Amino acid sequence: MTEFMGYVRPNGDVGIRNHLLILSGTVYANGVVERVAHSIHGAVPITHANGRCQVAPDLRVTRRFLAGTAMNPNVAAVVIVDHFKEEGMTAEDLADDIDPTGKLIAPVNIRAAGGFISAVEKATRYAQDFARQISMHTREAAPMSKILFGTECGTSDTTSGLASNPANGIAGEILIAQGGRMLMAECTEWMGCENWLTEKAASPAVAEAIVAGVQHMERRALASGEDIRGSQPTGDNMAGGLTTIEEKSMGAVKKIGDSPIVEYLEIGEAPSQTEPGNYVMYGPGMGAESISSMAAAGCQVLTFCTGGGHTSNHPIMPTIKVTGNRQSYELMRDTVDIDVSGVFYDEIMLAEAGQIIYDEVERVCNGYLTKSEALRDNNSFAIHRVGPSI
Amino acid sequence: MKKVFVVYAADNVGTVVVEPIRAGDRVSCNGERSDIQVIAGDDIAYGHKIALVDIAKGGTILKYGLSIGSASCDIQAGGHVHTHNVESNRGRGDLANRGAVSAE
Repeated sequence: MTEFMGYVRPNGDVGIRNHLLILSGTVYANGVVERVAHSIHGAVPITHANGRCQVAPDLRVTRRFLAGTAMNPNVAAVVIVDHFKEEGMTAEDLADDIDPTGKLIAPVNIRAAGGFISAVEKATRYAQDFARQISMHTREAAPMSKILFGTECGTSDTTSGLASNPANGIAGEILIAQGGRMLMAECTEWMGCENWLTEKAASPAVAEAIVAGVQHMERRALASGEDIRGSQPTGDNMAGGLTTIEEKSMGAVKKIGDSPIVEYLEIGEAPSQTEPGNYVMYGPGMGAESISSMAAAGCQVLTFCTGGGHTSNHPIMPTIKVTGNRQSYELMRDTVDIDVSGVFYDEIMLAEAGQIIYDEVERVCNGYLTKSEALRDNNSFAIHRVGPSI
Repeated sequence: MKKVFVVYAADNVGTVVVEPIRAGDRVSCNGERSDIQVIAGDDIAYGHKIALVDIAKGGTILKYGLSIGSASCDIQAGGHVHTHNVESNRGRGDLANRGAVSAE
């Protein structure tokens, strides 16, 4: 079994990065968080627009995203900032959620600290201490079975379903053969090929959850006046050569391979199983929300398959961009890591493209920086909303 | 000789990716079916599909090694495969009862 060099956490999880997170509990703490992160070596700020005036089910999802991101194995330590005693989700509540992982955690409340300036000072001192403590962490050998490998596709084009996605499915199977797990979200894209997914479900309950998840997303869209099934494939899709909804969807879901689907997860929920195989998660096609839900679920690494080229990168989960479009690679090579378009020009076979993707995943697990990480273009933290602001 | 791309060996259609196809072009395949050659019966644009073998009415259209629909009429090898000669077996949302996952 292949090993990689990672950061072994107190709870047995293994990270591929050793991040210090400065986590905003609410939109009104974003300013303090940014100021602190700017002052501290290697600190990663997580800011967002949520945490206030949300209905309960929506706030639960926000809390799961924030706590889950901090619980991700790639995070070594976290300073949490909130501004007041946020109802239902204080910095202390988040700290309680994160605490079982055994990480370094420090909550800071702006009001309790005596205002913005004092809160910046207090949080900066915690962060300085944490940054120095975690600088002593070293990588240790760990089995690849510890990896939860997330996958996403966005800005897809004709090449996506033909090259990057199926090659990615092959890469996932290589990891699963070593005991690893692969996670796919974006349940809107399962529409029309539910049967291909349910046939792989490890139990009838998983199969039912897959069908129900697609229906739920479809009804939500319908309630907003959007018929996402009846309009598939779209006129643009058909002009581009896609004939049926199953053809379109299959091109998307082929980014996982043929292994059984072990578990169905709610958005941002960590798997309860360690069984090797595929895992699927409810969620939208919106890239930043989708990859953030997978980071919250504990994915240490993610491949982002893209036809048009992409800049998406999660702040704490290295995001490897893969394209099958040579022109997109040339235009977007600053942030697209891998070009598998060689399958169209008799240069490589699909299986080799899968191996190329897997090899890059393994390198990144060992510490190799993705192109976007090197640029610190941490643009893709976003929280999925399931209710209105009140 | 122009090339189309075949994703899986079991597929009976290829996709035009490298260059557009004109009726009468000799076409061979990259990917999993380098053994097959056909003469294009139609002009076929980028992203569109060509039949690699004769497909009888009702026959399954295979891409990714999986069904993407059924032939609504006989399709000759080299023919353009698209909405004019393929029907979905799955989510025809315009026909399905609202709330039901069709064909499940």
